[in-house]
Amino acid sequence: MHILLAEDDPAVSIVIQICLEKIGGHTVQLVTDGAAAVSLAQRESFDLIVLDGMMPYKSGLQAATEIRSSGIVSTPIIFLSAKNDERDIQAFLSLGVGFIPKPFEPTQICAKIEAILAAARAQGAS
Amino acid sequence: MTLRAQLNMITALVLGGSGFAAYSAYETRQELESYDQVMNDSMETRSVLLMIEDLPYHDDTFRRLQLEKDRLKEPDRKAAFGKAVTLYAAKNPMELRRAIRKGLKVEAEHYNKNRGQRAAIQARFEKLALVAIGILTMGLLLVMATVHATIFKGLQRLSRRMLDFLVDRYSFQFSQPDESELGDLQRTFNSLAQRVINTTDELKRLDSAKSEFLSIASHELRTPMTSIKGSLSLLASGVIGQLDVGSLRLIKIAEGETDRLIRLINDLLDLAKIESGGLPLHLNWVQWDEFCGKTLDGLSGLAHKADVRLELVSLPAVEVNIDRDRLQQVLTNLVSNAVKFSPKGGAVRVTLSRAKTGELVVSVTDSGPGIKTEDREMIFEKFRQGTSAANPLVKGTGLGLAIAKALVAEHGGSIGVESTVGVGSTFWFSLPKWRENEVARVA
Repeated sequence: MHILLAEDDPAVSIVIQICLEKIGGHTVQLVTDGAAAVSLAQRESFDLIVLDGMMPYKSGLQAATEIRSSGIVSTPIIFLSAKNDERDIQAFLSLGVGFIPKPFEPTQICAKIEAILAAARAQGAS
Repeated sequence: MTLRAQLNMITALVLGGSGFAAYSAYETRQELESYDQVMNDSMETRSVLLMIEDLPYHDDTFRRLQLEKDRLKEPDRKAAFGKAVTLYAAKNPMELRRAIRKGLKVEAEHYNKNRGQRAAIQARFEKLALVAIGILTMGLLLVMATVHATIFKGLQRLSRRMLDFLVDRYSFQFSQPDESELGDLQRTFNSLAQRVINTTDELKRLDSAKSEFLSIASHELRTPMTSIKGSLSLLASGVIGQLDVGSLRLIKIAEGETDRLIRLINDLLDLAKIESGGLPLHLNWVQWDEFCGKTLDGLSGLAHKADVRLELVSLPAVEVNIDRDRLQQVLTNLVSNAVKFSPKGGAVRVTLSRAKTGELVVSVTDSGPGIKTEDREMIFEKFRQGTSAANPLVKGTGLGLAIAKALVAEHGGSIGVESTVGVGSTFWFSLPKWRENEVARVA
């Protein structure tokens, strides 16, 4: 898969990038803020967009709203966040297909993403 | 004007009025008595006059009559009486009778004049008494009206304002107090209310600061944990490159401790949230057997590793009103504790029963080492745990039971432990809201 990853924390982004590339065998385009995620999503097409919840310039939720309103409606969005209040989770699930709380088990993140996408596909098909 | 000044003024008026009335009553009585005296004298003079005609002449009598005449002050009375006495001495009965008649007439006039004056004074006094009673009555009425208008009305107003404050603190209107003692009371109450409002605002500010702190702390703590755990986990998985056995062992230790730190952070944040009321329960009616079965399924891996059997003893068709996720946290905590402390080949039994009080009681019984009496209260406190874990499968955070206690309390229940050293422990918690499942009962 061709994945757009937006994560502002460099240490976390390196870990996720390694997981997705080495374990999942995906290609990853990394950006470090919400605004960059929006402009890159408009320029290139991706199979999946992974957004961190809290980022500079634009939060993950803001970025997702703008990506959706700019006409990119079918690319699935998954959120990553250290904030796991029920309110936050509700907001994430209303815009994206899934939510992965931090800290996560990196060796299983690919399997988790697959599971979320499979569930979303099943829901879309039914 | 202050209430004290108003009441003092009215009291002074009433007291002054009463004093004046008492003084004039005394004066009038003196005056009336002197008139009575004068009238009695006149009566006596008349009876003397009536006797003179029939009295035989005698020098002694004449002298006494002369003395009697000298006592009389009024010139007309003196003249008339004197004439009668002179004629008595002259022994002229004809003239004497005429003089006596004249004297009697003069006395009668004198008597009547005094009687009229006395009656006038009495009438004036009666009028004065009526006026005095009127003034006193008015004074009392004035006192009552003042007390009613200022004290009672004022107190009523003040108590209404206090009630307003009690019911609706934030829209409370501070009014301008007047200059009376009740105004002072209201001023004091206003300061009190202001202080309550300030304190409440301060508490609200602190509360929101606490929530903000929790939110930031959870983000700032979890973000570095994500990369630490991620790095260690990737290293251990061999994706980056194979490690030698010694390095791998150290990496595994670091990974295990990172997991423990993550659990601790999660537990601490959970507990802080529960304690600050930031974790409202989502109550639903849940089928107990299904709920408990699923929770135990989630723990079967742990139980299998520890070689401990999980048993479930239930009541038929019971539904409980709980927040599923939160109660699962409680049950998982108790059961995993029980598994941790059970010997290999032992069993952990989860029992649902009805207490005499009508509550449902969930018990988790293990065959572990038991808990000493003095430790039984302490283990529910934060960062307190049994230190002699014979089977340390998972190191605890010391917060699990504190969280369980807080969550059970939020469900309206209580939590406790019974234990016999060397035999085992039973941790129990109660659930007050439950019912029998109607569908199952009908079937």
